[in-house]
Amino acid sequence: MRIGLLTDGGYPYATGESRLWCDRLVRGLPQHEFDLFALSRSAHQEDQGWVRLPPRVSRVRTAPLWTPEDGTLRGSGERGLLARLVTGGEQSYGRRDRRRFAECLTALATAICTRDEAGTAAGEGTGAELFAEGLHGLAELARERGGLHLALRSEDTVRILEAASRAPGTGRTVQSATVPDHLAFAAELERALRPLSLDWYDQESLGAVDLCHAASGGPAALPGLLAKRFFGVPLLVTEHGVPLRAHYLAACDTPYAPPVRALLAGFHGRLATEVYRQAALITPGNTHVRRWQQRCGADPAKQRTVYPGMAAERFGRVGEDAERLGAAGDSDDAGGPDTLVWVGRIEPAKDLVALLHAFAEVRRAEPGARLRLFGAPADGDEATAYRAHCEALAAQLFPDEATGAHAEGVCPVTFEEIGGPEVPDLAEAYGAGGVIVLSSVVEGFPVSLVEAMFCGRATVSTDVGAVVEVIGGTGLVVPPRNPKALADACVALLRDPERRARLGAAARARALELFTVEQNLAAFRGMYLELISRTPVRREADTVDAHGDPLPFATPPEARLLGHWTQPGPHLRAQPGRARPGEPEPQHAREPEPEGVCAVAAGPAGDGDA
Amino acid sequence: MTRPDDPAIPASAQERPAEIRPRTTARRTPGGASRRGPADPVKTLLHHHRDLCERAVDPLEIAAGLEAHGLTDRTAARYRHRDVFALAEELYARVPPRTRAPAAGPTTGSVPVPGPDADARAAWTLLALLPGAACLATAGVLRVTEGVLGDGTRALVTVVGAVLACLALRACLARGPLRAPEGAGRAGMYGCWLLSYAVYGEELLAQVMTGGPDGPWDGTPAPLLGLAAAVAPAAWCAHLFTVHAQRRLAGSRALEEFGAGVRPLLLASVTLFLGALLPLLLLADLGLGGSGTPVAAACLGVLFFVARLLAAHGLPEPGTAALAAACAVEAGAPALVLAARLPGLEPLAQPVNALVSTGGTGAVSALACGGAAVGLLLHAAFALSRASAHTRS
Repeated sequence: MRIGLLTDGGYPYATGESRLWCDRLVRGLPQHEFDLFALSRSAHQEDQGWVRLPPRVSRVRTAPLWTPEDGTLRGSGERGLLARLVTGGEQSYGRRDRRRFAECLTALATAICTRDEAGTAAGEGTGAELFAEGLHGLAELARERGGLHLALRSEDTVRILEAASRAPGTGRTVQSATVPDHLAFAAELERALRPLSLDWYDQESLGAVDLCHAASGGPAALPGLLAKRFFGVPLLVTEHGVPLRAHYLAACDTPYAPPVRALLAGFHGRLATEVYRQAALITPGNTHVRRWQQRCGADPAKQRTVYPGMAAERFGRVGEDAERLGAAGDSDDAGGPDTLVWVGRIEPAKDLVALLHAFAEVRRAEPGARLRLFGAPADGDEATAYRAHCEALAAQLFPDEATGAHAEGVCPVTFEEIGGPEVPDLAEAYGAGGVIVLSSVVEGFPVSLVEAMFCGRATVSTDVGAVVEVIGGTGLVVPPRNPKALADACVALLRDPERRARLGAAARARALELFTVEQNLAAFRGMYLELISRTPVRREADTVDAHGDPLPFATPPEARLLGHWTQPGPHLRAQPGRARPGEPEPQHAREPEPEGVCAVAAGPAGDGDA
Repeated sequence: MTRPDDPAIPASAQERPAEIRPRTTARRTPGGASRRGPADPVKTLLHHHRDLCERAVDPLEIAAGLEAHGLTDRTAARYRHRDVFALAEELYARVPPRTRAPAAGPTTGSVPVPGPDADARAAWTLLALLPGAACLATAGVLRVTEGVLGDGTRALVTVVGAVLACLALRACLARGPLRAPEGAGRAGMYGCWLLSYAVYGEELLAQVMTGGPDGPWDGTPAPLLGLAAAVAPAAWCAHLFTVHAQRRLAGSRALEEFGAGVRPLLLASVTLFLGALLPLLLLADLGLGGSGTPVAAACLGVLFFVARLLAAHGLPEPGTAALAAACAVEAGAPALVLAARLPGLEPLAQPVNALVSTGGTGAVSALACGGAAVGLLLHAAFALSRASAHTRS
């Protein structure tokens, strides 16, 4: 099976996000062939080169989404002087194409500018329909005629945007947009819609894959949307974070005025809705992502939570030691029994200040306790300042202590880096502690918590992000920004070695069940097969040979089993009310194959029976 | 949970050193306040996240911001909401809308004004003066060395001066307000042709009409000097136009409003340039002994200026086309006269003859450049009144 893996600023670039996961996926499913379709984010990223690709990757197509330094697109002046004069200066389309462009863009802009009425679920209502119509119209125009980037920077675009934002029913913020706002939004729209102009949409590229797997939502899923539209290729969307949420958080730093941000938010929201609507399956990385997706109109029936897989092997030794010692009842030897360990990157979101105050409480109850903080080297001014602040606070709260009058004193709180002689690797760091603490106030998917679980350690963590669903009762959870509660939980665990061992063993069992690479791969393997059996791509070219004669066995015999083997479950059946006239039916609602092919392919089989 | 009546807490609170950021304690208040039970717990939250709520364009943005601050669905339950989204919607609805309405304030500040730096402005002004200086120096050297040096040396001086002027022109077209971000296509070629015609064209046409050409003819370098000196005013006029157009763009609410405001600006800047160009041309004429009023050279200057202004706004094609048209007319005049020498084609020379008899040999290039300049100016009045033309500067 050929999988088209769509990435945006990630794999196969060496500096990409989620490249580890993609790499494991590509290497872990050797029975499938992978075609990579990668969008790059910056010139710097392209200069950094690629990671080493396994031989299963048969093809790599890349395209830049960033603008070159001088602000112009390459190839924008490819048309001859006469041709440009005939078509009227900067206008790149003829009259008919221009009208088509204007219609599609009007639909798109109207959908972006208007907000659904209260009570309408995301993904339903006229806005989503309009957006889909406009987006796919523009995609078809770009595929047939090209030149979309020129048209999107023309005056027509600004005029259409202005008209759409003035229409009744738009929000107050959008209504207040001025001409520079429209210009800024037009430029951003052109950048966001650049995947529509790629040359990936032909029979050799995206038309040749059996399944599109988008490694993130947003721009990366856009080619997948079009592949579904043009070739009926099913789309699987995996999201470890929510692109819409990331957009909102990043939008604070942009210099844009509120109307531009409102328009951009409208665009990204509608795009997310459309991606979720068209995707055959959506795999959020945790419940938090799942909730956001539902908020944006994802059908819960299509969602399958697939936790990111992590390599459990490197924690195997420490984890097994913990299990063995725990079973022998000799749990005091599992790490430093009085040692609390924190592992992570030192930054304000980790709230180490609260941890230090909590540890002051712990010391009052358990004077022999130690706290070891393993932090990656700080990068950036803010992180460096925060680390210095924490170290100063630790020195102030905990003076150096010595065992005797002639011994050298040591501070009970140490800041250490992994890779030193004492703690050569991450597993040793977790192994050094009796209890692992996580004190963050903001957290996405808590990687260090999962690592601690692999090591079979009891944990105390704050109730943020996906912590509760990860820990699932195999560790203690306290409210964030509450040093007292954190301290109480730590003391309770420090005083009860048996409970510590029990929780550690349960945590390790849970982690091995849920968060290994194997379970991640197994989940995707199953989903690939499910999708391909449910919504196979039908290509006319596959059922006939070079002379146009039908090929025997081009369709599997299962196609003639009782009932329709390609028919989806009732939850995925296209609802007749939602299908628009004039649009091709969704692939999975179609009859399994064209009648003629079916009859001809049935011919030889019938002969054989006779 | 922190409880005020807990005996452990006051002690630890007193021990807390002073450098703890007040943020930490301040954040704690909404939770505490809600437990102590004011009627409206969300109000406190609103107060703490007022900046976020006022900036937000969307309830989801508030939800994202709240989550980034560590709020979860379980915290939202404290505010009697099902989840963060519902809480964010209430916050969004409760922020007074008037704080979201004024959009013009930050917009005006965020539009980059080109050439804000006085140093950069001085740099390109200096560069723009160089072509004129090179031409003037060459003319001066030629004037002083008249009769002193041989013909070969004088030709060498001329060539060196021309090369220097070309290099200076290139340098000042590569930056500053005359820079064309998307290149100018073949406009350079046409420009060279038009300049050569301005120097040698009249003489050539006169010789052709009187049965020539009869060998080497003398050029009239005065227009060249005047035009080279006019590069600096051209740069300043283009700069003024760009700056004022940007200012107008930043304040305009509608496209029509902007277009109506920019057209007078364009006319004013072209007029200003013409006002600077004419004295320069007259001075050059006086200095180099030209012939009469330099109408053709003035038209050529305006044509160049408008074409470059369009190219600087990312629209090089119309300018190139206008230059090409002027070239065609100028080349056509001698060609028609020559063609009329063939038997049976005599009528071909009539329009040229009529033109030259009414306005002299300069009328041909005046007509060509003037027509092209007027046409291009009309086009520019439409093209440059579009807002999309002013994004790239």
